[in-house]
Amino acid sequence: MATTLPIPETTTVLKPQKSDLGWTRPDHKTGIVDWLTTTDHKKIGIMYGCFALFFLIVGGVEALMIRIQLAVPQNSFVSATTYNQLFTMHGTTMIFLAVMPINAAFFNFIMPLQIGARDVAFPRMNTFGLWTLLAGGIILNISWFFQFANAFGWFAPADGRLEIAPAGGWFGYAPLSATQYTGIGTNFWILGLQVLGISSLAGSFNFIVTIINMRAPGMKMMRLPVFTWMTLITSFLLIFALPAIAVALAELQFDRYFNTNFFKVEMGGQPILWQHLFWIFGHPEVYILILPTMGIVSEILPTFSKRPLFGYPIIVFSGAVIGFLGFAVWSHHMFATGLGKYATAAFSLLTMAIAVPTGVKIFNWIGTLWGGRITFSIPMIYSLAFVWMFMMGGFSGIMHSSAPADAQQTDSYFVIAHFHYVLIGGSLLSIIAGLYYWFPKVTGKMMNLKLGKWYAFLIIAGLNITFFPMHWLGLNGMPRRTHTYQAGFGWETWNLVCSIGAMVLGIGIFLVVLDVFISARRGKLAAKDPWDGRTLEWTTSNPPPHYNFARTPIVKGKDSFFIHKYGQSKDKIEFEGEDAHGIHMPSNSWMPMISGICFTIFGVALALMPSGVIPGMGWLAVITLVGACIPLFLWALEGPGGYHLHVKKDNNLATNS
Amino acid sequence: MNKRVYIICKNLIIMIFKSLYFVKHNFILGLSSTLLGFFFSGCALNDRMSTFDYKGPVAKIQYDLFMVTVYVCLILFIIVAAALAWAVVKYRARKGDENKPMPKQGHGNPLVEVGLIGGSILMLVVIAVPTVNAIWYTHQMPKDDQSSHLISWYPNTQDIPSGEEDSVLIIRATGYQWWWTFEYPQFGIRTANEMVIPKGKTVRIELRAADVIHSFWFPKFAGKVDLIPGRNNWMWIQADHEGHYYGQCAEFCGEAHAYMLIRSDVVNEMDFANWVQHQTTPAPLPKERSLASEGKKLFVTKTCVQCHRVDGHGYESLVGPDLSHIASRKSIGAGILENIRDDLPTKDYSGSSKFASAEHMIDPEKLRKNLFEWVRYSQKYKPGNLMYYPANGLRNLDERGDFTDEDVHKIVDYLMTLK
Repeated sequence: MATTLPIPETTTVLKPQKSDLGWTRPDHKTGIVDWLTTTDHKKIGIMYGCFALFFLIVGGVEALMIRIQLAVPQNSFVSATTYNQLFTMHGTTMIFLAVMPINAAFFNFIMPLQIGARDVAFPRMNTFGLWTLLAGGIILNISWFFQFANAFGWFAPADGRLEIAPAGGWFGYAPLSATQYTGIGTNFWILGLQVLGISSLAGSFNFIVTIINMRAPGMKMMRLPVFTWMTLITSFLLIFALPAIAVALAELQFDRYFNTNFFKVEMGGQPILWQHLFWIFGHPEVYILILPTMGIVSEILPTFSKRPLFGYPIIVFSGAVIGFLGFAVWSHHMFATGLGKYATAAFSLLTMAIAVPTGVKIFNWIGTLWGGRITFSIPMIYSLAFVWMFMMGGFSGIMHSSAPADAQQTDSYFVIAHFHYVLIGGSLLSIIAGLYYWFPKVTGKMMNLKLGKWYAFLIIAGLNITFFPMHWLGLNGMPRRTHTYQAGFGWETWNLVCSIGAMVLGIGIFLVVLDVFISARRGKLAAKDPWDGRTLEWTTSNPPPHYNFARTPIVKGKDSFFIHKYGQSKDKIEFEGEDAHGIHMPSNSWMPMISGICFTIFGVALALMPSGVIPGMGWLAVITLVGACIPLFLWALEGPGGYHLHVKKDNNLATNS
Repeated sequence: MNKRVYIICKNLIIMIFKSLYFVKHNFILGLSSTLLGFFFSGCALNDRMSTFDYKGPVAKIQYDLFMVTVYVCLILFIIVAAALAWAVVKYRARKGDENKPMPKQGHGNPLVEVGLIGGSILMLVVIAVPTVNAIWYTHQMPKDDQSSHLISWYPNTQDIPSGEEDSVLIIRATGYQWWWTFEYPQFGIRTANEMVIPKGKTVRIELRAADVIHSFWFPKFAGKVDLIPGRNNWMWIQADHEGHYYGQCAEFCGEAHAYMLIRSDVVNEMDFANWVQHQTTPAPLPKERSLASEGKKLFVTKTCVQCHRVDGHGYESLVGPDLSHIASRKSIGAGILENIRDDLPTKDYSGSSKFASAEHMIDPEKLRKNLFEWVRYSQKYKPGNLMYYPANGLRNLDERGDFTDEDVHKIVDYLMTLK
């Protein structure tokens, strides 16, 4: 996927400066070295996207194995422990390694373009976020290889427990996560999540600073595209939510490694503390997964119905309200834990309250369609399906908010139905919509729109065949997280149907991912403005040059490109003049990747340490932790780098208008 | 594969092909025809763990509340989905539209917005009021009338004080990985995995956990309440119909979570008194020089005694499930191996008095076979299940290498006498 076009008009006027240490920061613009050291937000976005799609497939395979196991009662396709590992890793992978990174991919690639910036505020920190994401992904998933090694007899942890890949659930409830109940898999899980948290924090601070400081002139906050708004809100959610789980994970790790007593009830600890800490993170996390995708849909619906977003301020405001209320409803995950009637009632009512801003968004999306001129291109089909499916997930959410009714539903398949409607019907459908929508922007090519219709059908039908019957299964008493079930409870038929649906869904998603990579090589060349876009990212070429905009645009209103094309003459986008020193672009750096590699080794070594199989793991962990921090200091010493470009004014706008 | 599965698969395939035909012509129509197929497929409402088939006031109020949410959501769904569908159909781009001017670039209508927000808040109030009502209802023990005081249920027991708080039956349920202990402190009864409660009687269940978090769930009695180490949770239930009921641990509790099942018998006043009498009387010692008495010796020498209690036989360890009256239970291994006769007519034993009695339901041959399988290969039926081995202590080994089949038969003979 080449993203950088040759730029003949460019002249480098300033050589990269040597740093205080006498080094020169790498400045390759092509080849593998460039990809490893890049600070270009677009390349980082592409790498985020590729990792996320890879892990989407990994998590999908885990899901299909779960569904094969459950297709018939008393199945023995996988063992109980393997099943527990599969659902643990499925949840963890899909949340932290598929949906969050792919949202980050969109943030990275699209957001700076939408605000008319040349890069993010801290380019190296952006790179650092990418490599720590990969570090976390490797730490989590390498546990599978140790599990296989154990199966072949090459690796036997001293505690004799077989949960070498995480098996405590993505929620890792204490005290099941303690050493006497789960094996070293929980260590991999703790360290993987901890490193992924670093990645998300680095990204979030970066996005916030970028959005607040680097908007093009005229791009006032209330003119920001909604996707950028949701990026901002999501980033704030992340920086407020992640500390809670960082604390919880650290406490759990101390319990496991240093015999502290945070969650050990026999020593006076409180297992329930874990649940509070986890869900204070965990519930905002749900909105971290869904808000960006609401942003994507809020971009696509206006584009394909040729109308501005209905009630833009209310959409933005309701996004913020959802984010705010998201911190006030965590205990609705704990209705069964005996909170007492006052807390139960309070969290019940607050949870109902959060339905209002969510409903407002749906009303406004319909309001956007109303009176428009709707074309059913693939991104639009997915977006409409998103509105429909997300609405259904929302309704089962309202049913959960009523605590006494939830007492029957919680930890049953009804919950699985609910959050898969929200996360697949919501997040994933709109992520795919975003893939189709911005693919020409990223690669300059189109995805296969003819086959895309069939894929959409497979995915949407598969989604409903898989998850609609689960509502029934849950109400019919089938509990979650059970590796099998007995015949005679009326669960056989619908489990089989679910499993068939899951295959259809899996095939659909796989084909879309395949199409992403095929189209990136062989897709049809895209027009400059293939969807008649409304926002700034469509004013540059496809793919954009690495400096994004030859001249910084001066924005005249909301939907700036649309009013530029169809509005009055006062709405036309103008441009800043060229500076005497040209465009200042950041240099590349090796430091983030070195740090990421050290974090990977650190996590794996520390997770393996208690197994007692390989000696010296503790020291390796200490050394690599230091090794992960040193590049962050060298980062300051490697010099500001950067270079200046003189670029002729590009004429994309002229051809489009 | 049963017939229902076959029919559903067939219909599904036909439906898919039909929808594929439609999708070629009309995407929305094709999709909705697929979805509709599911709405009209048959579902039984009285399955063993169905939440629709409530058999007590707690489950009923939860079900009623659920139906309120369903109706509210259904109304909202019809309105919103209709608006969405209407907008999509009405305002789709038609041929020749390209030459027309752009649609009106409106930015929203404050009145419409406020109206919709107000409307949705009103709909939520419809749910909120009964929700709060039900939260209070499920958290407050109802006061039993004095006529159903426990003393009137079981007059021979001296230990029951006549205070009002004792007008309810108290059961202490303790969750272990992956089985249950039930204690009746008012009667001094201790049993495992099967709970017997009198019909129509308010029962306060005190929920305790011995290792990790579990969750107590009999869908037909009430929703879940967790058993959390270090916390004194409780719930109240009342079962209005006799019968044999199915429940399950509903919080992920480790390897064999799927096999942490619970059973309950709901019996009438008389039968409950008999049951209490039966439980408080130790099973008779096996006859001298019978196979069972040899089994009783093996019970000690093969270290079963390390964990299991048998009331009146001198075995008092509380580590594992209580075996005092195991031969009168309807399942072995916390619900995994059922001893229920194969010729019983129905898949659902709730709501009928004839399914409450052990004599009527238990098939002795099945019981014997299940006991044998369980003692010999408990790992096969409950992976991760710990048993005490003379050489290794508590382990989850695949097979009891220290037993011969003959030993196991003798032990089973002994267990069969523990009626």
